[in-house]
Amino acid sequence: TPRHATPSIPSRSLPARQPANVLEEARTRLHVSSVPESLPCREQEFQDIYSFVESKIIDGTGGCMYISGVPGTGKTATVHEVMRCLQHAADVDEIPPFHFIEINGMKMTDPHQAYVQILQKLTGQKATADHAAALLEKRFSNAAPRKESTVLLVDELDLLWTRKQNVMYNLFDWPTRRHARLVVLTIANTMDLPERIMINRVASRLGLTRMSFQPYSFKQLQQIITSRLNKVKAFEEDALQLVSRKVAALSGDARRCLDICRRATEICEHSSADPSATGLVGMSHVMEALNEMFSSAYITAIKCASLQEQLFLRAVIAEFRRLGLEEATFQQVFVQHQALCRVEGLQPISVSEGLAVCQRLGACRLLLLEPSRLGVLQRIRLNVSQDDVLYALKAD
Amino acid sequence: MTALLQHPGYEEERLQRVAEQLPCREVQAGLLLSLMGQPQQYSYPSIFIYGHRASGKSHVMHVLLKELELPHATVSCVECVSVALLFEQVLLSFFGCDAASLLPRSPSLSDFVRIYKQQCSQSPAKQTRYIVMEKAELLRDTDANLLPALLRLQELVEDNITVILLSEIAWDKFRPNTGCFEPLLLHFPDYSKGELQQILSQDRHPSYSAELYSSYINILLGVFYSVCRDLRELRHLAALNFSKFCEPLAEGKVKETDTHKLWRNIEPHLKKAMQTVYLREVSSLQWEQMQQMEEKETGALRGLSAHTHVELPYYSKFLLIAAYLASYNPARTDKRFFLKHHGKIRKTNFLKKNEKTSNHLLGPKPFPLDRLLAIFYSVVDSRVAPTASIFSQISSLVTLQLLTQVSHDDQLDAPKYKCAVSMDFICAISRTVNFDIVKYLYDFL
Repeated sequence: TPRHATPSIPSRSLPARQPANVLEEARTRLHVSSVPESLPCREQEFQDIYSFVESKIIDGTGGCMYISGVPGTGKTATVHEVMRCLQHAADVDEIPPFHFIEINGMKMTDPHQAYVQILQKLTGQKATADHAAALLEKRFSNAAPRKESTVLLVDELDLLWTRKQNVMYNLFDWPTRRHARLVVLTIANTMDLPERIMINRVASRLGLTRMSFQPYSFKQLQQIITSRLNKVKAFEEDALQLVSRKVAALSGDARRCLDICRRATEICEHSSADPSATGLVGMSHVMEALNEMFSSAYITAIKCASLQEQLFLRAVIAEFRRLGLEEATFQQVFVQHQALCRVEGLQPISVSEGLAVCQRLGACRLLLLEPSRLGVLQRIRLNVSQDDVLYALKAD
Repeated sequence: MTALLQHPGYEEERLQRVAEQLPCREVQAGLLLSLMGQPQQYSYPSIFIYGHRASGKSHVMHVLLKELELPHATVSCVECVSVALLFEQVLLSFFGCDAASLLPRSPSLSDFVRIYKQQCSQSPAKQTRYIVMEKAELLRDTDANLLPALLRLQELVEDNITVILLSEIAWDKFRPNTGCFEPLLLHFPDYSKGELQQILSQDRHPSYSAELYSSYINILLGVFYSVCRDLRELRHLAALNFSKFCEPLAEGKVKETDTHKLWRNIEPHLKKAMQTVYLREVSSLQWEQMQQMEEKETGALRGLSAHTHVELPYYSKFLLIAAYLASYNPARTDKRFFLKHHGKIRKTNFLKKNEKTSNHLLGPKPFPLDRLLAIFYSVVDSRVAPTASIFSQISSLVTLQLLTQVSHDDQLDAPKYKCAVSMDFICAISRTVNFDIVKYLYDFL
């Protein structure tokens, strides 16, 4: 077996460069991985989680909390912020000290690995999944005189689902033990996850302490960006408003919003060569970034396809119209293609070339095809709407 | 002719030898040589060669690589039931057994590429290495990533390597749905009649003149060319029948120049051969023995397909007859055939439009067990008790593949069967029990 089986990013030999100008400064501040000083627009949620965990730690009891919300609404960031504050409070002896452990369902090859990771982070012990489960069981059900509270954050909860749901069951059952002193915070994307995938005895142990993070409105998004930029003057006001309105209308994803802003600064930097530029990110830059991010690649792909490929798509649509169905075999389409070639005054292509054209379109997922070994009998469907194809073909 | 095979980088006499071994394939060999370039030059990553059976694909590759002494691995995809065998064979022929033993127990593609690269850095290629995959159509049934990886192996292992795929199927039916690196396509056309004549005339008998043998090949092609263009098959037939052709010469009845008499002698013999030995009804060995036993008429020997007689128990025969009747007669006509008082109905009256085509053309239809038993009781004269043995005979007919069970949903409750025997077979069976089956078949009414 190879020695370096795990791929990794090469380590940096020089320290990261300091941002040289305003735009670079803005870019580092807008980066998703840079931790902001505070989380604006999530004060209420922060307060709820904080008081929930704090009360459990002070009382020395356990409990579960379920946090849901679409991606990019700040769930994980808020919980981390809460934990940082609590850690700080524990350091200054306002609340009793506690352990904080974090596991992520996405980072595990198997749901049962959760036990191993929890045990390792709690005690540093290494064990197999079964053994770890037994050890944790013992640890959480037996009384110990000087036990600290444990706060466990389970991110991407839906990936811990197993057929018998024993991992989830244990995670939610341990806090109910008398001596456990365990607080479990779980995060997932959908609100109705407990009802959908959990059996009753698991869902009931999870309890009713739930919190859902709403998608950001455009005002909130704008506030997030301004707070991130923190008086670095890089954006025009209108540009910011446009980004936040667009993103709020589509998803309300803050990460998306930050990505678009960063891209806009890059575009601005490129176009700063011409003298009329003010050095600020303007409306046009943001528009360009938005177009790059939101426009469909399919239409561009059709526009840039070769003549025969475009003709083939035309033939597919013509055949669909003739049949009144959304599916046709290659040979039916090919007859149309030959006719179209004659109409356009092109040399009709051979069946092999036709199949090559068809399979190229299939390989870039403009068409949905059956396996190629069916030859001329393979059925063809469009993967994009007919209107999109017609729009793309007509545009030039 | 040999002027075609000229290429810098290879010795003149070797090319000469190659050209001698590849009659009627100079164009393809020349094209391949120019694609391969000089030994140390980088060749195209993958070449796909297709053509009919026995059009010289493997032979050309084999002769070229062997005579020019290029490093190569020839892998037959039929033999490589798992990719492990394929990888092992490739490593074995390029780097020796040590490299092949480095492969783990069930190697993945990345293992192969890693070991190849490792070995390759120790012994870098001075010449292009070639992997020849025969019967490449089977690669489509292996892991989905194998064929795309082989097509761009040069890029993966960073070595001067070319993969040559040989197949009888056109490239259109290979292309993976996710796309791949397109190989160069090269077609080997069929041999024409003249080319076949030229190639077949090369392996002449030493004790006879070349003209005689080529006139024999001419007669042979005159008989067989319309049904068979497969070089290997024709060569086999030529070798089998040549002794018969020479018989009049050996007896001194005819001179070598008298082609007409020779033709008169051999032609009926060849026509008989087409019906027997070409279809493998009679094995080649039997055919040769028959030619030696002059008194016995050729073809009098019963071929394989004449052995369709099967000994069955009495009731099994009737069960099979009943199954055949149930399969090929429409259920509506059962009353007419098998009931005593059915009234006179003419066939024209109950001819439906869709039933006008013969059931024997459409193949057998499935029938339920009840209908089989009902017909069985009506065709068997004596009273038969529905004992366990009757039912076990039905299931043993299924295991003998005389009946087939359609719809595998339920074994016990109303299973459906189909009769899977031919008309000749059932006629022979019904003759043994004195049952006139043709009278009961709707198609022959």
